[in-house]
Amino acid sequence: MMKKILLIEDDKFLRELMVKKLLTMEYDVVSAVDGESGLSMIKESKPDVVLLDLILPGINGFEVLERAKQDPETADIPVIILSNLGQKEDIERGQELGAVDFMIKAHFTPQEVANKLKTILE
Amino acid sequence: MEELLTKSEELRNVRVALLNVLEDTDDLRKEAVDERNKTMTIIENLNDGVILLNKNNQVEIINSPALEVLNIKREGVLGIPFANLLDKEELAEIKKAIIDEKDHKKIKDIYREEFSTSKDRHVEITSVLLRDELEEKGFLIVIHDVTKEKLVERMKTEFVSVAAHQLRTPLSAIKWTVRMILDGDVGSINEEQKELLEKTYISNERMIRLINDLLNVSRIEEGRLLYNQEEVQIEDVLEGVVNASQEILRNKNIKLKVEKKELPKVIIDKEKMGLVIQNLLENAVKYTHQGGKIKISLDNDEKNVIFKIEDSGVGIPKDQQDRIFTKFFRAENVTRMETDGTGLGLYTTKNIIQAHKGEIWFESEENKGTTFYFKIPISNK
Repeated sequence: MMKKILLIEDDKFLRELMVKKLLTMEYDVVSAVDGESGLSMIKESKPDVVLLDLILPGINGFEVLERAKQDPETADIPVIILSNLGQKEDIERGQELGAVDFMIKAHFTPQEVANKLKTILE
Repeated sequence: MEELLTKSEELRNVRVALLNVLEDTDDLRKEAVDERNKTMTIIENLNDGVILLNKNNQVEIINSPALEVLNIKREGVLGIPFANLLDKEELAEIKKAIIDEKDHKKIKDIYREEFSTSKDRHVEITSVLLRDELEEKGFLIVIHDVTKEKLVERMKTEFVSVAAHQLRTPLSAIKWTVRMILDGDVGSINEEQKELLEKTYISNERMIRLINDLLNVSRIEEGRLLYNQEEVQIEDVLEGVVNASQEILRNKNIKLKVEKKELPKVIIDKEKMGLVIQNLLENAVKYTHQGGKIKISLDNDEKNVIFKIEDSGVGIPKDQQDRIFTKFFRAENVTRMETDGTGLGLYTTKNIIQAHKGEIWFESEENKGTTFYFKIPISNK
């Protein structure tokens, strides 16, 4: 069965690029553009992995992560933070809240993100 | 009779003399009172809180800013033991740091230690023992309000963090697009297109690196450079950097020799120390010609671990050697070589080494090569 990835990213162009890449890798991709819709999609579509941006309109990525981890229905879904924040404090906070990894967008190519997804899904 | 007259004359003289002495004493007393008033006015009008304790550590002088920070009234405060003034929930942290736990009459020496007395109030406290050759005379406590500095510091951090984020977003878009085209994700391209895009990709990576360097610099200026210090073997950090640098070494066909020996542990921020070694190694590679040589060795004496990296590169011109660690400085010979660099690497490197209480220095001769050294103290654990 195709694995489902939820991408929560507010930048349209970045979202399109990543969706395109993940589609070529034969993933089932759904996406959300802000925190609220991202959170409800985690609940509704039960993805296998979430790629989560941090600076989002409305509730930010940290809050999305926190709430997803508090909800027993979604707590086990692995979340990778994919953001351009990346100071130590941010990374540590993400890990404390339960993210499996923290990737700085400017430091990784879409292929590398896809490789990371693959190892997490295995 | 004459004798009597003489005596009485003498007595009059004594009286005058005595009156003079009294007058002088009175003048001196007035002067002393004046001086005291002046001093009190100065102390009262300082921005910092000042508390003077007598040798029993009871309050002798306290000014308004100090009263305000400690949230106490002036009435009846003189003569109270200092420890009693700190018997408040919001001052518990200060009390713990400054008052001896076993003997509440004893006060500890502290220098500019930071405390918060409420959610948005931060102070720095210094306590100094006052003494002359004979005895201890009490303590001087200075309370400096740093609330505003803290606020500015936080705003600056937030600004840098947001600015980095905003700059990185379009750069990520460029990186991702170019990479996907290069990887053939959106169809095939010809060799010439590929070559141009490779160069675009490299330029973009340079920009991304520059932002990282600027973030590091802003951390240096905040004095928050080191984050997580742990006891480690520096060889492990070196090994990680060397492994990650194989490609740049291969590209320039440079031979790297690493000489290690068993070393005592050091307490370092691993990531930052990695950055130091990476900077030094990258510089050595960048400024050494094709087919050159680089040698790294690790050694130690009783107190320090010493790192040495020697290259057969272009060297640093004599007249520019004293500016080599300056922010944004790049030596003329290397800018002419059209090598890329931000002029931030060695500045950052030096600051990281200093934050570890270490030292960095170099020897260099133009067209022969450069050797950088740094040493950091061995862990005493």
